[in-house]
Amino acid sequence: MGKIRVLIAKPGLDGHDRGALVIAQALRDHGMEVIYTGLRQSPVQIVQAAIQEDVDVIGLSSLSGAHKTLFPKVINVLKEQGASDIPVVGGGVIPAEDIPYLLERGVQKIFTSGSSTEALALYIKQLVNPEKEQLKSPEKIAHIGIAVQQIDHVISFYTDTLGLELEGVETVESEGVKTAFLKIGESRLELLEPLDNDSPIQRFLDKKGEGIHHIALETEQLDERLQNMTSEGIPLINEEPKQGAHNSQVAFIHPKAAGGVLFELCRHTEGSEH
Amino acid sequence: MSDHTFQSNKENWEKSVNKTLERFPERKESFTTSSDLEVERLYYPSEDETYEEKLGYPGEYPYTRGIQPTMYRSRLWTMRQYAGFGSAKETNERFRYLLDQGQTGLSVAFDLPTQIGYDSDDVMAEGEVGKVGVAIDSLHDMEQLLDQIPLDKVSTSMTINAPASVLLCMYLAVGEKQGVPLEKMTGTIQNDILKEYIARGTYIYPPKPSMRLITNIFEFCQQYVPKFNTISISGYHIREAGSTAVQEVAFTLANGMAYVDAALDAGLDIDTFAPRLAFFFNAHNNFLEEVAKFRAARRIWAKTMKNHYQAKNPKSWKLRFHTQTGGSTLTAQQPDNNVVRVTMQALAAVFGGTQSLHTNSRDEALSLPTEESARIALRTQQIIANESGVADTADPLGGSYYVESLTDQIEEEVNKYLDQINEIGGAVKAVEEGYMQREIQRTAYETQKKIENEEEIIVGLNQYKLDEEVNPDLLKVDEALEAAQIDLLEKARNERDQHEVDNALARLREQAKDRGANLIPHILHAVKVYASVGEICNVLRDEFGEYTGM
Repeated sequence: MGKIRVLIAKPGLDGHDRGALVIAQALRDHGMEVIYTGLRQSPVQIVQAAIQEDVDVIGLSSLSGAHKTLFPKVINVLKEQGASDIPVVGGGVIPAEDIPYLLERGVQKIFTSGSSTEALALYIKQLVNPEKEQLKSPEKIAHIGIAVQQIDHVISFYTDTLGLELEGVETVESEGVKTAFLKIGESRLELLEPLDNDSPIQRFLDKKGEGIHHIALETEQLDERLQNMTSEGIPLINEEPKQGAHNSQVAFIHPKAAGGVLFELCRHTEGSEH
Repeated sequence: MSDHTFQSNKENWEKSVNKTLERFPERKESFTTSSDLEVERLYYPSEDETYEEKLGYPGEYPYTRGIQPTMYRSRLWTMRQYAGFGSAKETNERFRYLLDQGQTGLSVAFDLPTQIGYDSDDVMAEGEVGKVGVAIDSLHDMEQLLDQIPLDKVSTSMTINAPASVLLCMYLAVGEKQGVPLEKMTGTIQNDILKEYIARGTYIYPPKPSMRLITNIFEFCQQYVPKFNTISISGYHIREAGSTAVQEVAFTLANGMAYVDAALDAGLDIDTFAPRLAFFFNAHNNFLEEVAKFRAARRIWAKTMKNHYQAKNPKSWKLRFHTQTGGSTLTAQQPDNNVVRVTMQALAAVFGGTQSLHTNSRDEALSLPTEESARIALRTQQIIANESGVADTADPLGGSYYVESLTDQIEEEVNKYLDQINEIGGAVKAVEEGYMQREIQRTAYETQKKIENEEEIIVGLNQYKLDEEVNPDLLKVDEALEAAQIDLLEKARNERDQHEVDNALARLREQAKDRGANLIPHILHAVKVYASVGEICNVLRDEFGEYTGM
């Protein structure tokens, strides 16, 4: 496959092209062929240029507030010309509340003020070569972690009342935690008890009390996914996988990336049970 | 320099202080600090070999320390907030609100169709009507925009370039209807087409006919509207497009020289138009560099006008400028932090001796400012003016080893660029070849890379981020406005005498073909019979052609 070809376009009358020019240069540095239309392009002109130049993706930039009129118009003209296979991404000064409107009308993604050119380049690569770069979704929920003061106090609820099978209790000194795994279908519940006051679980209990602590997702592509998230600027607690319980590799994502939920990504190596 | 001349120059300055005080008495009998220490009018070395050559006294050549002898001790800078959105009626309400709040001058933002000479019903205007400024199609809209605003008391700055002649004529026509004589009308039109090609993008015609329109305005105003600033040569947008402080000054002054050359070529006398040239700079975050930048710009321009152009009138030597704080330095993240950035930038402009100032609103990285944000922005200036004490002595940072050294260095670096542009054949040629555009793009890209690899820290953007951003309330322009504006335009077209309009446009077309003719009186006539911005600009598009970029 040859170089990715990108059309960067300024629809409408807006003359602010600093962002468009910086992005054009950044994408070139990422090995793409970039065609910049210049200012004041009508939707029809943009689509004509995209078809003529046989581009893989169109990037629209607008800072004048006309995005709600002009971006959907480009999508419509693409449809009329039978070229709706060319994906459109947008950027500029675009209020967050306008983004759903634009996505509904067929814009793939909006990059607003403060987005990094790295993230954009990566996004375009994945958009254009999905089979090569696209990551698979995580396969399943590996387990749900529940912070408790003492496992002994609650374990009977899980084993007797619910009748779940206790797979084992394990102490992980390095994490300051004692864990109990209970099998449920293809997933597990993991009870977490702090070993001492410095344990992260103790801090969680102090702050929030007992309750759901984290959700662990099983993913084969743990390293790729971490790499990907690092370059997209997703905040991670562990940028590299570390050894987890039961022969697994694990890494935690910062809850601020996920609406306040702590996610663990884990990959179990051959021979391990889960 | 002997002690004797040092003494006599100082006496000259003191004399001009006394003259100034007669017209502009100082704001207070005496200025003091919180500890009741007396603040002098000026601080200067008792004796210094290079002081007068490099710095001089405020109001004296080479104006490094400011263009008025008493600076802000007499009159504070003009607080001029750029505003405009939606319809003329809405903008008029915002203007009157700002004047009520203590703002001292108006500054009009026009929407993009107006700035590029399209009527609101033009197919090119779709989606843009009333978005980044007010939509003006005909004199009707201008009358509405300035309704109940006394044009003999309020000076108005209009950010309009390619169609500057049309909007100036509309403004003058409204003034006439209010009974204000032309020679009393004050204000500024931006009218700086070169930086449109370089950085801002609202050009219409190619450089040559555009330069003609500009010199036509110089000539007309010198004769009939002598108090109007006929151009505001702008570095602001060059900086916003990504330039450094040095590039901002260099390219702006190079453009300034190109306008002077064009006016001289058109046969105008330097001292008749040069006093009405005004400048417009940006204020970014590197505080002391910005202060030095303004001081250096003033010194370079004074030397250029006096030595290179041989201007005789000291008014021709003075670089008067408006400043706006840096829109591109504001972050969409944690927008309240922008109030702090704007304060710092506004202070730099005041230390730099600005004549007027616009402070940006905190929410500008997200949308047009809300009324509350616009008020905080104005209050920022008022706090600096009234509470900080920095306006109580002229050029308070003058003499700082660092600031003076930076001022010298900036002058030196700017001169290198000016030599380079001179070698290319002047600013018009450099613009046509894309020289300045390339220089700016290179800097813009380097800046982006520095921010992404955190070599440059932007608080709230690449460091000190918040987990959750609060979405502030934003100003919304009513999407129905476009249709309403088109209705207004249709109504204006139905009410006017079409025969008069056709005649006026035909006359303009005829005069446009004659390169020696001054087009302003013909545009003024067309405006008065309610020809629209788009109709007038389309006649000139036919005759002059359109600029299509690099």
